[in-house]
Amino acid sequence: MEFFGQQLVNGLTLGSVYALIALGYTLIYGVLQLLNFAHGDVYMVGAFIGFFVMIGLGGPAAPMVPVWLMIVAMFLAAMLGSGILGVLIEQFAYRPLRNSPRIAPLISALGVSLFLQNAVLLLFGPRIRDYATTEYIPIGSGFSIGSIRLDPMRILVVVLSVILMFVLVRLVNRTRFGRGMRAVAFDREAAVMMGIDVNRVVVLTFFCASALAGAAGVMVGLVFFNVSNFMGFLAGLKGFTAAVVGGIGSVGGAMVGGLLIGLLEAFATGYLSANRPTRSPSSL
Amino acid sequence: MRRSPLFTGIAAITCLTLSLSGCAGGSTAGSGSSTPTVGSAPDLSSAAGPTSAESTPSDPTSSAGTPSGSNSTSAGDESATSSAPAGSGKACAGSIGFMGPITGSAAAIGGEQLHFAELAVKNFNAQNGSTYDVVQGDTQLDPGQASTVGQQFVSNDAILGVVGPAGSQEVDAIGPVYSQASLSFVSSSATATELTAGKYSSFFRTIPNDSVQGPTDATFIAEKLNAKNVVIVQEKTSYGQGLAASVGDALKAKGVTVNIVQVSKDQPDYSAVVTKVAADTDVVFATFQIAANTQVLATQLKQQGKQAAVFGSDGSFSADFKTPGGYVSSFAPDVKSIPSAAEVVKAYTSAYGDFATTYGPPTYVAAQAILQAAQRACQAGSSDRAAVLAQMKSTSITDSILGGTLTFTASGDVEGAKFYVFKIGTDGVPALVQ
Repeated sequence: MEFFGQQLVNGLTLGSVYALIALGYTLIYGVLQLLNFAHGDVYMVGAFIGFFVMIGLGGPAAPMVPVWLMIVAMFLAAMLGSGILGVLIEQFAYRPLRNSPRIAPLISALGVSLFLQNAVLLLFGPRIRDYATTEYIPIGSGFSIGSIRLDPMRILVVVLSVILMFVLVRLVNRTRFGRGMRAVAFDREAAVMMGIDVNRVVVLTFFCASALAGAAGVMVGLVFFNVSNFMGFLAGLKGFTAAVVGGIGSVGGAMVGGLLIGLLEAFATGYLSANRPTRSPSSL
Repeated sequence: MRRSPLFTGIAAITCLTLSLSGCAGGSTAGSGSSTPTVGSAPDLSSAAGPTSAESTPSDPTSSAGTPSGSNSTSAGDESATSSAPAGSGKACAGSIGFMGPITGSAAAIGGEQLHFAELAVKNFNAQNGSTYDVVQGDTQLDPGQASTVGQQFVSNDAILGVVGPAGSQEVDAIGPVYSQASLSFVSSSATATELTAGKYSSFFRTIPNDSVQGPTDATFIAEKLNAKNVVIVQEKTSYGQGLAASVGDALKAKGVTVNIVQVSKDQPDYSAVVTKVAADTDVVFATFQIAANTQVLATQLKQQGKQAAVFGSDGSFSADFKTPGGYVSSFAPDVKSIPSAAEVVKAYTSAYGDFATTYGPPTYVAAQAILQAAQRACQAGSSDRAAVLAQMKSTSITDSILGGTLTFTASGDVEGAKFYVFKIGTDGVPALVQ
């Protein structure tokens, strides 16, 4: 039972991250019918922004501000930075191709993905960066239920993911912007005729989707420590799989899909051979 | 017929998956004698930690291309080693191919290997009046890329020998082609045992193979650490599989209970694997090629309250694996403590900054071996690949920076090679224990 419980914790943590990435895929697909394959790399950039904010605030060994404040700053900076990056990508890589055949923005997305990977490599070098979370959140903090360990960062990741998803759902369902987003997703031309500023909706959608990816990047750094310029590809692939599993374009589906992939990965590792983690999501 | 974007997406992603890491580097692999097009300037960070990682970027593009364009970095003539053959008489020239992960997830390792190879060529030229140069080929630790780069090297007549590739799986990818072309290739990090079992007639390596590492590590774990239960976390690569089997068999022969779990190379999280590690496990042996992954494994073990000591294979020998109380084996001693390597270490650090792994120095020796063979062949009046290969077999590098004299066995392995075991101290720095 403890084994099951611990794998549940592992799976929920991973699943929360995948869900946030999947939400980005789904939001952008919903509005533009575009598979934004650069999304995984926006997540990677978010992880790097969080890392450098941490370094700027004194580094893991001697933070200049309280730890909670540092973590908040990391999340805010990563979400803001990734959001702006998403908007820029939309502006320069997708908007000029909005009326082109659908394969064109897709190729453009792959190009942006490679560009981001290699830009980060060029700027920051190939070395894997370590969030070194255990230096400011000591091992053993958090609490246990029986022998199930609940690490504070894992709790933070799951809770924050739920909060972000809740905010997003409210945003989509209850706000003027959300209404605009749904209208554009439903019928872009009709939305234009109804006076909706489609460009504004698209820009805001990219901002929200990319900000979620940025948050996911920081979460991964805090929980799994390592960030590198290549981390976005596989995570993006899994986020995409989660979005498809949940029904691409569906916000609720992306959340469920992400959690499902994460849980599947953890339980496949736990109960089957550990070969499975990368195979099981795709076998869906 | 109009295709849905979803279909198009899946098609595109399948394409991307098939050429996975190739996408990142694209056609960066040295085309003929040119340089990687990706701005790959791998920055060799110091071992001090992530905050200092932006030190001394270097420009790998400066070394490729024409012979006269190579090796313009500092480190004067005094850094030439005493191990090169004395005398010259004739100015010899040619190219040495370098295959390694210049970009990609193992770029930190590949960067060090490349720079050590460049330094070897620079020192050799300074001492012998020759004009050998380096042609870079970026393989990203990917057999597919290695195959492409290998074909390019074979068709580049100027290339007399190849340093690399880095991974055993890559050696398998290009071994048949190089052997057929009589093109000598010397790896400084491919340790799979079967590579020197007669498969590839022109393959050599400057490090011991897994048949040495496996028993060395297993003996240490069973006899020095007195382990009774060991979990082997096996990275799912030919490196990981071969090593896990070698260590596992040796441990079982000593009566140790062994449980092998497999993980993907690109997996970011090992918590599900860690949950599977039983509480009475004494040692977790990790066969990762990236040391940072071993560090994650070790930290997650602690987070879940597991007391097992982590023992990393040679792939983990880097400043990134720094968990106190951990063990790590290496195919090379820490060259910084070897007197015969002092000048090379000094020249390297002044040109490229500090180095954090043990992958670089054996690459220096690999380049030396090819250069010496090419030089001997040249002075004997023939500088084709077959002549260089014939000379490779009589390689003898005295006062090698790895310590002692390096010669090859008939099968291409290092004569009398051994593995070393280090324990990581409370300061996160490994100290030699065996």
